[in-house]
Amino acid sequence: MSTEVVSTLPALVTIVPAAAGVLILILGRFIGWMREALALVGVLSAFAFSIGIARAALDHRVLTSFGRQFYADSLSALMVSLVSGIGLLATVYSLKYMRHQVQEGGLPHTTSEGRLTTFYGWLMFFISTMLWACLSNNIIMLYVAVEASTIASGLLVAFYWDKRALEAGYKYLMLLTVGITFALFGCVLVYAAGAAALGGHRGLLLSDLKSVAGSFPPTTVALACAFLIVGFGTKAGIAPFHPWLPDAHAEAPTPVSALLSGVMLKVAVYALVRTVSLFYPGFSPVAMFVLGLGVFTLILGDLMALAQNDLKRMLAYSSVSQMGYVLMGFGIGTQMGIYAGLFHMLNHALAKSLLFLAAGSVIYSTGARGISNLGGLAKKMPITAFCFFVGAFAVSGLPPFNGFQSKLALFVAGAEAGDWWAVVLGIGASLITLVVLVKAARTVFWGKLSEAAAAPTVREAPMSVLVAMVILAVLCLGIGIFPRAVYAPLNAASEMVQTVKSATSEMIPKGRDARNINR
Amino acid sequence: MVSQNLVHTLSLMMIFTSFAAVEARNLRHATVAYSFQALLICGLLAAYSVQNSALIYWAATALVTKAILIPCFLWRSTQGAEDETKPLIGFGVSAVLLIVVLSVMYKLMHMHAGLFINVRGSLGELAGTNLAVAFTVFILGLYAILTRRDAIKTVIGLCLLENGVHLSLVSLAPTIKETALAGIATEVVVTVYLLLYIIGGVREKFATTDTFKLSELHW
Repeated sequence: MSTEVVSTLPALVTIVPAAAGVLILILGRFIGWMREALALVGVLSAFAFSIGIARAALDHRVLTSFGRQFYADSLSALMVSLVSGIGLLATVYSLKYMRHQVQEGGLPHTTSEGRLTTFYGWLMFFISTMLWACLSNNIIMLYVAVEASTIASGLLVAFYWDKRALEAGYKYLMLLTVGITFALFGCVLVYAAGAAALGGHRGLLLSDLKSVAGSFPPTTVALACAFLIVGFGTKAGIAPFHPWLPDAHAEAPTPVSALLSGVMLKVAVYALVRTVSLFYPGFSPVAMFVLGLGVFTLILGDLMALAQNDLKRMLAYSSVSQMGYVLMGFGIGTQMGIYAGLFHMLNHALAKSLLFLAAGSVIYSTGARGISNLGGLAKKMPITAFCFFVGAFAVSGLPPFNGFQSKLALFVAGAEAGDWWAVVLGIGASLITLVVLVKAARTVFWGKLSEAAAAPTVREAPMSVLVAMVILAVLCLGIGIFPRAVYAPLNAASEMVQTVKSATSEMIPKGRDARNINR
Repeated sequence: MVSQNLVHTLSLMMIFTSFAAVEARNLRHATVAYSFQALLICGLLAAYSVQNSALIYWAATALVTKAILIPCFLWRSTQGAEDETKPLIGFGVSAVLLIVVLSVMYKLMHMHAGLFINVRGSLGELAGTNLAVAFTVFILGLYAILTRRDAIKTVIGLCLLENGVHLSLVSLAPTIKETALAGIATEVVVTVYLLLYIIGGVREKFATTDTFKLSELHW
């Protein structure tokens, strides 16, 4: 049984990067080196605080701040570790990468130094708002934090300020804001019902809503779930609400693409699961709907990825597909399914961030991003090539990479729950993923040197770019070979989500949520 | 006690101003209609504050954000380009749609308000009217975003959409904390500012704010 402990860590993990963002915007214009230094300090501190939160969660302590408004249980701990970890690597990657990119243009009415200041300032706000979303125990503030992360990243998506970036930025802000407004309706309905059952402000707290959600009227639950799924599902890139995703992920600067694909989608799924799973024990058809939506998403995303020639756009559609797998796990609804969904969420965050960073490395060196315009780069960029292949194999689910472990867990969970149709479709889509990614990797890195790759200026990316990629590649391989290393935090996190069905797998210990199982 | 006549009058005027904001072809006229609508929301919130005093803070926040800041941003961004790009659907269809939506919502909210917990308890019979207006404004906003080609008009649609949700908070979450309300209100302003900033860039690079001309990115 977890005990609640009042702590400053959940507050600090959010406030420190935000404060770093403010300082960067104020001081960065006058003292150039300060912006990079402050960004590193901000995100490194957030990562250190996240580790503290994760350790407390493993010791069965739930850290709370601001009168339980911030609530760091083991699921939140997993999320903040993921967000701050990938955020740290994306910041390290940006050091050389963005200095190079801002020379070619970007936000108007400023110099390249000014653009860098804006970039790092908003990057810190983006990371901070995602961390806030993962820790918010207040259902309305959860919506506020998720929407704040959209606002914080809007300018980053349009950063290059050319026609493509502006179109992507407009679509991103407009579609996500419309979508997330639906989520606000859903949150308000849940609060209205919760306040009637719990009274006053307790109806806002997700940790307290768990105990009464089963008693809500079915019509309220149906309406609230529909609004929440459309709202948070839009932000998570779930089909058919995904059209903003390929544009934004492809046109944003690469470190931002890695954060969008690697963690922002996961934060939205987290918000979806935190809210919708409240109704799993009492209203199991909700889980079936989530499962159907997940399978539809994973198939559509893969089919769309097949048709792409732009490297980043192809990776973006692949992200749509992989979010379908994550949703599939949550839709299966057993503890094993939720465990597998979280496991795939972690693995996809690592592998897709790696793929985007490797694609960025290719763009940095060649200036090209059309798959058909590239070829033979492995000779000139062996480390980038290695990292891209690791990412491609991991996302495709090949052994011994991490994606294999999580997809296996997903398929086992699906089979145990009797959702064979989902398992068959999931395996089929996984084969398409393999074809898409390996074909792209082969075209870009093998064969004869293309014109874009043959230029004498094309060489391996700088050290800070490589360091971030190599760390992610090692993690993809390490978790694939030693999956037990992440069992404890994932299992603890999965126990925080309500379930609908009994899990009988021996791969994970029986959960404490057995009391919630009603089917 | 909240005056039923006052609430019904303000609600009816809200529907008219929403419709005017969607249908006015001149973007500045649409902005003026929107700011009137924002003032009406403030009036409604102030009227409801007789029963729940916390709503007066919500009314004050709405006055600053919705009735002053957002119209100022919209006014500035329409300088030199006041005429809206011709929309996909014209006045006649919009008028029919408004009547249908309002009738359905009014009937639904008065007959089945129990769908939403605690509604009757907080505002009595007025809750049904309030929710019917809120949902109608929400749908009008969505309609504007889907059928208007001009990017600035879609931002006005987004503002209407948000106003619909915020108005529903009065009935559905009357005891909500001020911090949550402040967070919700602030976000709308920042989102609108950022969207208009990006639309300024779109106008500069594409020489238009017609969203149909934004076709650089294909699936």
